[in-house]
Amino acid sequence: MPQNEHIELHRKRHGQRLDHHERKRKKESREVHERSHKAKKLIGLKAKLYHKQRHAEKIQMKKTLKMHEQRKTKQKNDDKTPEGAVPAYLLDREGQSRAKVLSNMIKQKRKEKAGKWEVPLPKVRAQGETEVLKVIKTGKRQKKAWKRMVTKVCFVGDGFTRKPPKYERFIRPMGLRFKKAHVTHPELKATFCLPILGVKKNPSSPLYTSLGVITKGTVVEVNVSELGLVTQGGKVIWGKYAQVTNNPENDGCINAVLLV
Amino acid sequence: MALYNFKKIMVVPTAKDFIDITLSKTQRKTPTVVHKHYQIHRIRHFYMRKVKFTQQNYHDRLSQILTDFPKLDDIHPFYADLMNVLYDKDHYKLALGQINIAKNLIDNVAKDYVRLMKYGDSLYRCKQLKRAALGRMCTILKRQKSSLEYLEQVRQHLSRLPSIDPNTRTLLLCGYPNVGKSSFINKVTRADVDVQPYAFTTKSLFVGHMDYRYLRWQVVDTPGILDHPLEERNTIEMQAITALAHLRAAVLYVMDVSEQCGHTLQEQLELFNSIRPLFANKPLIVVANKCDVKKITELSEENQKIFADLTAEGIPVIETSTLTEEGVMQVKTEACDRLLADRVENKMKGKKVHDVLNRLHLAMPAKRDDKERPPFIPEGALIRKRAMEVDAPKRRLERDLEVELGDDYILDLQKYWDLMNEEEKHDRVPEVWEGHNIADYIDPDIMKKLEDLEKEEELKERAGEYDSDDESEDEDMQEIRVLAKQIREKKQLLIVQSKDKDVHGPRMPRTTTKVERKKLEKEMGELGLDMNDKDDSHYAQQARRSRSITKKRKREASAPPTSKTRSQSASRPPRDQSGIRDPKMAKKAKKMMKNSQKDMNRQGKKGEADRHVFDLKPKHLLAGKRKSGTNDYR
Repeated sequence: MPQNEHIELHRKRHGQRLDHHERKRKKESREVHERSHKAKKLIGLKAKLYHKQRHAEKIQMKKTLKMHEQRKTKQKNDDKTPEGAVPAYLLDREGQSRAKVLSNMIKQKRKEKAGKWEVPLPKVRAQGETEVLKVIKTGKRQKKAWKRMVTKVCFVGDGFTRKPPKYERFIRPMGLRFKKAHVTHPELKATFCLPILGVKKNPSSPLYTSLGVITKGTVVEVNVSELGLVTQGGKVIWGKYAQVTNNPENDGCINAVLLV
Repeated sequence: MALYNFKKIMVVPTAKDFIDITLSKTQRKTPTVVHKHYQIHRIRHFYMRKVKFTQQNYHDRLSQILTDFPKLDDIHPFYADLMNVLYDKDHYKLALGQINIAKNLIDNVAKDYVRLMKYGDSLYRCKQLKRAALGRMCTILKRQKSSLEYLEQVRQHLSRLPSIDPNTRTLLLCGYPNVGKSSFINKVTRADVDVQPYAFTTKSLFVGHMDYRYLRWQVVDTPGILDHPLEERNTIEMQAITALAHLRAAVLYVMDVSEQCGHTLQEQLELFNSIRPLFANKPLIVVANKCDVKKITELSEENQKIFADLTAEGIPVIETSTLTEEGVMQVKTEACDRLLADRVENKMKGKKVHDVLNRLHLAMPAKRDDKERPPFIPEGALIRKRAMEVDAPKRRLERDLEVELGDDYILDLQKYWDLMNEEEKHDRVPEVWEGHNIADYIDPDIMKKLEDLEKEEELKERAGEYDSDDESEDEDMQEIRVLAKQIREKKQLLIVQSKDKDVHGPRMPRTTTKVERKKLEKEMGELGLDMNDKDDSHYAQQARRSRSITKKRKREASAPPTSKTRSQSASRPPRDQSGIRDPKMAKKAKKMMKNSQKDMNRQGKKGEADRHVFDLKPKHLLAGKRKSGTNDYR
């Protein structure tokens, strides 16, 4: 026992109070009442936090109780056939899967050419111009109102240089320029932080597409070389489309879902 | 600067608690009310403040953790090594590094979101940005859960380490387990170390303090070391090795002569030789313990040779027994002397000594003749010094008697009394006899004294000392006395009369009421003055003059004739008496009046029409936030 554990040393040498166990038992049994009193009397933010925590605890307790119960009974399930077991007349069928893959690829290419593909968010609210572009007044008497400032998150390419300030009509502030997006792979359920290559299409207006404005529902091209995807032919895929699923100007980050 | 205490490190909260504390602090300490219609800069400022406040709190707390925990490079190598042994240097540094990274990440998050918030154009957008910022900061901290837990455990253990000062005079005990190191330290200091028959009772370093030659010494007890190579040593043994390696102390290698610890003397010698390199430059003493069981002379030849060899090398071997306490003091003095000599020698070799030596100068007076003048020490001092050294038994003290008798001891001061009859010492002295206090009669000459005093008093009385001075007064004095007596009587009479007077209203002092002429003349007549025909006196003339001045009054047309008003006012009773039948009712009416005035008087109101409010918006009722729930009032 270390030198400065005085309490433990005293306990070791002299034992505990004569009524120690009695008191301990009573204190533990009182705890139940105190907890219920607290749960009834708390109000406000503390109550919300407490109830949330308590709810989580109760769920855990119920789960363990159920687990203990389930062990007692063993159910027999005749209907389900174990996976991997294939009836004899289907054993020869192998080639089909490959064919499907090939035809899928062809279908995909056709869709890309047409410009239509399946997206996770088919319908998105259109953003009006007053929402996306803010009027900036200039001039000696602050009367000229031909400049606009973008209020949403936007993407500008690597080699972007501003037009001379006197002539630029659309101002994209540096604070709202983003280069990376958090892209989720829908099947792997994993999220990666991938650099954006460009804005493919903004559903609200082609003007926004050309400006590079990113809002909810925008299709963006991202650099997926990190994922290490390879085509059938053996070529490395390094660009894929992803659709933005959140409002980047409210969250401060771009969350997107990869379009496979 | 090194902390040899390590007790001032602040508690490291768990990740969950940390987040809860900071978020609730943000909610309490920043303004909570904001509306959609406020100006946008105000809304932005409101939310930016929250983000920055949270970031500030996290930053402060994490920085405090980083500065509180000692950096292994800054502290004394003894503590650095000890911490490495106990907590693993790499893990420790990694944990602190993670905390540092988390701090920087939180700062960056706050910076980014504050920058974004400058473009927020609506309350909803700013609010969402603030929510995202706080959420991100809390997630960063949630990932540090394991680091924080580890640091909290380190802190708890660190604060319980014994406070060993690596620079002061230290004695270090080492040896096999169960040889008697802890018993030794218990004997020499006040440290209460556990002593048990099983090995590795002492599992960490213990420190005790003792005094020698008016200096404070540390005695450090280590866990026992077994004899295997350094790589195979476990944590407990490594602590002992660390202490040996880094503390500049006198080493006391304890050996068990009786081999009761379970290891032969040969094995103990092997261990001694294997850790010999750690004893370099340190004064070394071999303590042969448990000599009450077996003395060195009782040992076999080869074992005796071991000790002889050690002595031959110059290492003193001292036989001790911690049970009977023989030799323990000897070991102590020997070790302390050697260590002191060593330290002084080292200091002399250093550079700092010269600063002091240059300033010291022992002046010896030049001899002027051949006469010897030795220092004078009085006889008593010499005797006492000799007595101290010899430790001669002094006279038996009460304390010794008390210790001897234990529970039977009774304090008996009467045995020291010096009486004529020695047998009467323990007699009980009575206090009261036949109704008289014996203490009053203690004086043996008391009756004689009383007679003398009475005689004196008689003489005095006869001489007339106590007679009053009646005849010595002359006529005037007596007259004055008579008059004074009359005056006193009259005064008392007047007082009684005035008390009996039934005054309606407050009692006015005498000077406010006018003295009537009749009354004045009557009183003066009673006293003996001639008061007839005093029309020409000054008071009568004055009265006539004043009446003539004040008599004029303007006659108004609307005023009723004076005869009528006078009669009405005479016939109309005053308001507090009208309608009241008897004094009981009058009393009640007066009481009601007083009651209704009480409240107004207490509030300092001038009257019932005074509605002035001194404090229209008292601060204690209106300041502060409203907690949950609704109120219609404030």
